[in-house]
Amino acid sequence: MAWLSGGVAWGMGSMTGKAYAQMPAAFASAAGSLRGKALVIIQLNGGNDGLNTIIPAEDDIYFSKRPDIAIKKENGLPISNGMYFHPAMTGIKKLYDEGQVSVIQNIGYNNPNRSHFRATDIWNTGSDANVLWDEGWASRYLTTKYPSFPMKFPKDPMAIQLGSVESLLFQSDMGRFGTVFEDPNLFYQLVNGSSADTDLPPATMAGDELGFLKQIATSSIQYASVIQAGANKGKNSFTYPTTNLAKQLAIIAKLISGGLETPIYLANIGGFDTHSNQLNQHLNLWKTISDAVSSFQNDLKNQGLDEYVSVMTFSEFGRRLNQNGTTGTDHGTAAPMLVVGKTVKGGLVGPNPNLKNLDSNGDIKFVYDYRQVYSTVLRDHLGLDAVNTQSIFKQSFERLPIYNNSPETLPENSSLELVNPVPNPVEDYAFLQYSVFAPNTFETKQTIRLAVYDLSGQEVQQIYSGEKAIGSYQMTLDLSRLSAGFYIISLSSSTGQRINRRMIKQ
Amino acid sequence: MPIWNQTNVNHLLARSLFGFSAKDSQQAMGYGNFSDLINKALLADAPMPAAPNSWVTLAPLQAQQNDGSAGNWYRELTYWWYNRMLDEGLNMREKMVLFFHNHFSNERDKVSYPQHMYQQNQLFRKYAFGNFKQLVKDVTIDPSMLIYLDGNNSRGSSPNENYAREIMELFTLGIGNYTETDIKQAAKVFSGWQVKDLVSVFDSTRWYTDATVTVFTKAAKFKYDTLIDWIFEQKAAAEFISRKLYQEFVYYKPNEAFVLQMADVLRKNNYEMKPLLRFLFNSDEFYKASIQGSKIKNPSELMVGSAKLLQSKATDTVNLYELAKTLQMQLFQPPNVAGWPGQRDWISSTTYSHRGGFTDSLLTGKRYNGVAVTGKLDALTYARSFVNAEKAVEFVDELVALSLRFPLSDVRKKFLLDTLLDGTTIMNWSTYTASADTRINKFLKALMRLPEYQLC
Repeated sequence: MAWLSGGVAWGMGSMTGKAYAQMPAAFASAAGSLRGKALVIIQLNGGNDGLNTIIPAEDDIYFSKRPDIAIKKENGLPISNGMYFHPAMTGIKKLYDEGQVSVIQNIGYNNPNRSHFRATDIWNTGSDANVLWDEGWASRYLTTKYPSFPMKFPKDPMAIQLGSVESLLFQSDMGRFGTVFEDPNLFYQLVNGSSADTDLPPATMAGDELGFLKQIATSSIQYASVIQAGANKGKNSFTYPTTNLAKQLAIIAKLISGGLETPIYLANIGGFDTHSNQLNQHLNLWKTISDAVSSFQNDLKNQGLDEYVSVMTFSEFGRRLNQNGTTGTDHGTAAPMLVVGKTVKGGLVGPNPNLKNLDSNGDIKFVYDYRQVYSTVLRDHLGLDAVNTQSIFKQSFERLPIYNNSPETLPENSSLELVNPVPNPVEDYAFLQYSVFAPNTFETKQTIRLAVYDLSGQEVQQIYSGEKAIGSYQMTLDLSRLSAGFYIISLSSSTGQRINRRMIKQ
Repeated sequence: MPIWNQTNVNHLLARSLFGFSAKDSQQAMGYGNFSDLINKALLADAPMPAAPNSWVTLAPLQAQQNDGSAGNWYRELTYWWYNRMLDEGLNMREKMVLFFHNHFSNERDKVSYPQHMYQQNQLFRKYAFGNFKQLVKDVTIDPSMLIYLDGNNSRGSSPNENYAREIMELFTLGIGNYTETDIKQAAKVFSGWQVKDLVSVFDSTRWYTDATVTVFTKAAKFKYDTLIDWIFEQKAAAEFISRKLYQEFVYYKPNEAFVLQMADVLRKNNYEMKPLLRFLFNSDEFYKASIQGSKIKNPSELMVGSAKLLQSKATDTVNLYELAKTLQMQLFQPPNVAGWPGQRDWISSTTYSHRGGFTDSLLTGKRYNGVAVTGKLDALTYARSFVNAEKAVEFVDELVALSLRFPLSDVRKKFLLDTLLDGTTIMNWSTYTASADTRINKFLKALMRLPEYQLC
């Protein structure tokens, strides 16, 4: 039996191994980056009132349904297209004017759930409303990124959560991906002196629980010193407010500055369940978020780290259009999300909330699925490829124009996606990914044609022709028969859409 | 029938109480059979405890918030409750009070006057072994609950849905057993109530005016209590609370077949809790070897249980209060209306580390941040209270059997023995040697820092 106080990985005896798809290196990270990207997720607990956050202050219905709690146009901070930020969001408004905030409207999913707990689970796992998953979407991403876990722990924490109770977001059948703490130095001090042994627990109900405890002990021992060292090496170059959220973001900035390669951070703010007297409470919450996020962005910018990091907000649901009898709002459905960072396109994405055409419960209908936002962040920020992104959600979701490198247009205009072949120039074999999306809500497949053309427009090699189910696909193309020169790979559909990608054969 | 032996009795005590001492275990064995231990000790009725102080009857006043009284009283109330747990003996009433506090989760952040929370806490004590259906009725119009879930001032004309949703989702039926329409209709029925000082008052002019409302396809002019009767006619009701009890006392992943048996017992006894608890603690299911040692202690079990294990005479309730916050179980402040999820949710890198820091503090008399903790263990007196104190191997075995429900491997026992001996030999072991004090402390620290110690 070996006792350890750090450094040696502890294998999970009673947990089964999982097959994984190894990504080609070219897809794994954005070329030329000095360091990996990081995503900072801010969870708004309780169900944020989207209509009083991104406000339709030129819509008469909004005022008629919320006589006591509507926010007037002259108090809001103008965005565009008749929408306004909450007056407390001055910091975010400034970032927006600098092109660093994408506001994506009407995010939700089919058959929305209005229970805090079930809805939070849905957002954390990335499941459909009628399916129960017990693994977080982030932990499925991390499984792809760190396929050796939990047999081996990577150098830096895989995910960091500021707080005390680990989110489902970081839980998986493979174990816990998150390292959870409130203060780096205190964390180090507490863990110091702990030990964990490498014995495998018995494969019993109690043994499983013991195995779980041992994994937490081992990862705490391993990462406490890494985190403390990162915090000591890193710095904050901007003065943050004293709110709890600002403190969380300041620690995250410090760890990023200290060189931690952790790809996902989770921060948290509660108090959004505004059933009564909501005006003041909601104002304070958004002032807190806005001030904290703008401090964080300033800090990163001062340190030249802002191109590596983006911030995404989410909440389990929005709130009802109609105010209730206690000057608050009850549980609702679709709501906006914010994505903030130097690399976002910026602007208002999607149509304004439709206050006339509500669902049978009086709630706003969603326009974009929440996993479209997640898929966009995974692919265009964290650099995951289409097929691995699909495997996280077990469905393909069309991306939204959130980042500079995201597709230009909103999804209703496209039903196909073709990624540039790699390598390019190519010798004999090229790796190709493409996606087929539903052209309307009824179709589950499309008739497509994928082929290689020369520059005169002559087809030189057919790759696929026929029906394809909705989804993302990857393949290795044998191009050894082609002579050296310039070619076009073209994906077209019976819907009339066509995408071309250039390729050089050596 | 379960076998009457020390292992099974210790398992029963570990789950039904906030831990136990060597003396508690011996006393329990004295009952000679499960039936007597359960009926005469665990489920015995007891008089209500005296109030923590006279403030419990004061009408709420803003001044009590402004001058800090309310916050101080909340502390006093929490210390008082910890003392009820520490002094529970072999009676499980306080465990049920905590169960109901978690089930009908109310947060002091919103229920800002401890007078209301105290009333609710006593309500749970009154019904600890009583009628669950009646408890739901009383809780529905309990001032703390009216404040917490916005029933206070809800009017029939535009009712607040908060309570109607949570009573169905979290208190009685569970998700999937009601529709959004049921919630909207029920919200009307629960309207009309207001909290006036320490009591709830019904005002019919604030109630719904529809001739009838339709809930679960039945149209009637429901009142709050007749609606609850109707909710309890739904098949899911008995199963829901039985499942929750199973998850608390047996295993966090419910055995659905056994849950159905529990639900039958509950229905046959018109939702009386005592027959159900008697059934559960006499069942073979509860004593299965695979169940024993599979529960991750909640912070109250860990803290109160450690104090009991160490026979602490003057437990520092301030230390419990402060560490409970760090360990994510501040009493009267559950995380949300669903309460504490329990089991693995207790454990993260931070809370796991703080658990070790807490048990250390009982031995060192110092909290992780250097603050003094009263009631520091006298290691020699403690060790000598065990018959095997002078026999190192047997002493380790006895402490392991007393404090760990998870069977410890011989290799790990050897580690504990080596820690106790710390260089000396079994032959030379005695509590009368110069550094025995330090050695016993090191041994107890290692014992309580084992991951196995977190299980019960």
